[in-house]
Amino acid sequence: MNMWTRLRSWTAAMLCRTRKEREMDEEMRFHIEAHAADLVGRGVAQQEALRQARVEFGGIETAKEECREAVGVSCLETLFQDVRHGSRAMLRAPVFTAIAVIVLALGIGANTAIFSVVDAVLLRPLAYRDSDRLVTILMNGEGPVSVANYIDWRDQSHSFAAMGAADYWSPNLTGVDAPEHIAGLKVTQSLFPMLGIDPLLGRVFVEGEDKNGADREVILSYRLWQRRFSGDRKVLGKPIVLDGNAYIVVGVMPVGFHFAPFWATKAELWVPNAFGARIHSRGGNSLRIFARLKDGVSLTQARAEIASITARLEQQFPGTNREVMLTPLKEKVVGPIETPLLVLLGAVAFVLLITCANVAHMLLARASTRQKEVAVRAALGARRGRLIRQFLTESILLGALGGAAGLLLAMIATRALIAISPANIPRVQTVSIDLRAALFLFSATILTSVGFGLAPALQASSVNVNDTLKEGGRGGSEGVHRNRLRSLLVVSEFALALMLLIGAGLMIRTFAALEAVDPGFNPHNVISMIVSVSGSKEEDPGRREIFYRQLIERLRSLPGVQAAGAINHLPLAGDLWGWHFEIEGRPKPRPGEKPGAVYRMVTPGYFSAMRLPLIRGRDMTEADNVTAPGVVIVNEQAARQYWPGEDPIGKRICFDDDTTNPAAWLTIIGIAKDAKQDSWTDKATPEAYLAAFQNHDYLGDSRTEASKHMNYITLVTRTAGDPALVASAMKEAARSFDRNLAITQVVTMDGVVAEANAQPRFEMLLLTIFAAVALVLAAVGIYGVISYSASRRTHEIGVRMSLGATRGDVLLLVVRQVVWLAVAGTVAGIAGALLLSRLMAKLLYGVQPTDPATFGAVAVGLGVVAMLACYFPARRAMRIDPMAALRYE
Amino acid sequence: MEKQLDLLQGTLDMLILKAISLSPLHGYGILLRIQQISKERLEIQQGSLYPALYRLEHHGWIKSEWGESESKRRARYYRLTTAGKRRLQLEAERWNQMTAVIAGILQTTPEEV
Repeated sequence: MNMWTRLRSWTAAMLCRTRKEREMDEEMRFHIEAHAADLVGRGVAQQEALRQARVEFGGIETAKEECREAVGVSCLETLFQDVRHGSRAMLRAPVFTAIAVIVLALGIGANTAIFSVVDAVLLRPLAYRDSDRLVTILMNGEGPVSVANYIDWRDQSHSFAAMGAADYWSPNLTGVDAPEHIAGLKVTQSLFPMLGIDPLLGRVFVEGEDKNGADREVILSYRLWQRRFSGDRKVLGKPIVLDGNAYIVVGVMPVGFHFAPFWATKAELWVPNAFGARIHSRGGNSLRIFARLKDGVSLTQARAEIASITARLEQQFPGTNREVMLTPLKEKVVGPIETPLLVLLGAVAFVLLITCANVAHMLLARASTRQKEVAVRAALGARRGRLIRQFLTESILLGALGGAAGLLLAMIATRALIAISPANIPRVQTVSIDLRAALFLFSATILTSVGFGLAPALQASSVNVNDTLKEGGRGGSEGVHRNRLRSLLVVSEFALALMLLIGAGLMIRTFAALEAVDPGFNPHNVISMIVSVSGSKEEDPGRREIFYRQLIERLRSLPGVQAAGAINHLPLAGDLWGWHFEIEGRPKPRPGEKPGAVYRMVTPGYFSAMRLPLIRGRDMTEADNVTAPGVVIVNEQAARQYWPGEDPIGKRICFDDDTTNPAAWLTIIGIAKDAKQDSWTDKATPEAYLAAFQNHDYLGDSRTEASKHMNYITLVTRTAGDPALVASAMKEAARSFDRNLAITQVVTMDGVVAEANAQPRFEMLLLTIFAAVALVLAAVGIYGVISYSASRRTHEIGVRMSLGATRGDVLLLVVRQVVWLAVAGTVAGIAGALLLSRLMAKLLYGVQPTDPATFGAVAVGLGVVAMLACYFPARRAMRIDPMAALRYE
Repeated sequence: MEKQLDLLQGTLDMLILKAISLSPLHGYGILLRIQQISKERLEIQQGSLYPALYRLEHHGWIKSEWGESESKRRARYYRLTTAGKRRLQLEAERWNQMTAVIAGILQTTPEEV
């Protein structure tokens, strides 16, 4: 037979499916009736003849099934049948269907949402050409690098196809309606070609554009181009004013281009980096180094080469090339967030497992009410495989509905996730439900459906036809085996829920520990803003100090403001600058071994505005100005570390390399309490507060390179009431001096603290939601099993009661079952949690992964929930009227 | 009546082809024809007749059309196609070869080995 006939027969069969069915019916009926007629002709009675003809013909349904199979459409055919049958069955039990679909949608939707985050953040390659060949080279794997080191590494290495460097630079965009402080980068010319992304418009920097005097070009990000230039193509070739200088726009990058992927992640413009005099500097680390591995060069080879180059340089220039680390760029970007996301993915997978168990429960319970239907079908000739297939089709149908609703849920959930995600999750803005997420959802749906459908299908199809049909209206008996399966499901649900609750409990304790951390200052009722003088008339060194002083004075006079001061970088929110100093009267330290400290520049009033207490000594005053001797306040840690057993007050230190200048020596006038600096959980490190109004770099009249980076001030005010209410008055106060001032980052200190703890809060929130869902599902599961088995045992309970069992005995009967399930679930759950909680150690703070209090509280809590879940079934069982129960049976 | 013989595996198709090669028949007619020719010595599972018919038609060896039975009722008649005729011939040859070989084996005496 050729393909053609086969195909024709098949299509004909498909097209005329119903006609075929009708004809098949008619043909077989004709056979039986003709046979019966013959029998009647031989003298058999009409009724008897028909019966005999049927018996001799054999199973008519089986014959039909074999006929269908002979034509070869049975697979699709039966699928249609099953789907039809399944839909009818689902419509007959709308509440059951609705609950199952909601539960599944929760499980599948949550998983898809988390998967889409994991996919976008962790799995996808960075959006640069061959991004897996890109690496970053940093001090200690995170610190910036000096210019001279970069040049030496670049010139002496052979492992890299290209190397580039970037400096953070955030200029004021002026000459436009609303001046704005914009995050940007100064990059070497080599950087853009190395990343391999073509600009949307114009070009990237060309050779020579990062040389001195030829560095006045700028490349815009798509977002900046849209936001500030309305996507106008004519902006190409035109100048824009950045920090008072004109830069020609040479290119616009495409949408979705971000650089740098870590550290300066908000950069929206790029200008060439002319190193100028810094080319010989091995101090003043500020560069981040990026490189592309040459083809055929392995990571190990590149690391070995960098290690040997830096070892050589360290000998030549001690203290400048220690612990230089080369890291794959993607690892640097996603490394910190990997563990938290994987923990969340694991947790949400647990939720899906519980979902499966729960729906399996429901199907099992329903399967027992459908035993008769199954028995009838089996008696009519349906084979076991066929029944299993039908049950599986039904569960896939259910799963598909759940998946569809889950898709909707996932779309909403991803938006919510993006909205509440902490700012330090890279690439989170690219999260979306795309094809990959859809594929994930599809496979999750199928796997889930088979997962929750298989056991009930196997059970239901193994029904004993004779027994079931003989039992008449009773609806079949409950096998021990089936009960065991249901118990197993409950125990696993219980165990999974326990593990999730322990995870959530550990996160809650972590968060409580974080809340209890003393930042050193009082963050409540404090608001801050950054005012940049760059590009305004206040930038002028002659005006800057007066402006700062007058602005602070005006803030103090605002209604509701209790205190005001200023600092260069706000703790926890701003940059962190460290420097080395020498202590008067001590031997000159060897290079690289000078004492170091984070240094901040503050104005009088800062400490009282922050309520950062001075342990001893005095605060800075208006009298500590450029004409007065230099003063400095150190923190407790600096005092402990550098003046152990001594009183640092009155001692002098010098941050300047040139110690011969008497004006460079600062006298310690006070000791401040240790305050959090960069991160909420950091241990205290030495810190020094310099007087801003004594610092020539800060006041803009030093003409040094450093002063270019000091053209802004962070104002801090303490308010009597809600600090957010003062925000607009503060901005207006600044603008009243000059409309060209760029004002950014108007934030409350509470907000800054919340931001610092955003990631643990995010993890806690999600884990708690997952655990809560798990708890509800597990409780429902326990309730279902207990009330089901109690109702199955109505007869038994009736007998027991009529034989003298008290209500207490009945209660015990029911509760004993729950206790066993709960104990088994708790043991399994605690064992699992002990194994798994170690994986989330990185997420925890102030609590051990095996914290006995959390484990205990969760186990007890879940036990109580289990008892509550069986309260209603138990009460119902206690109220059974023995007579009614016996009669009913 | 002699004891009926169960049909040998795979021979039902051949018998059906043979039965309708004589004249077009409906399903029940095929059953009767086979019983008649075999003098009621073959036992045919009536239900299995139809899957066989569907299979043969699917292969293109027989063709069916609706007609009127002797009792003036609508019935489906099967007749042999050209391909079916060739198929019947082929099967008959194979059968004859097979029976000859098997008969030969069964008649073998110890001396002949």
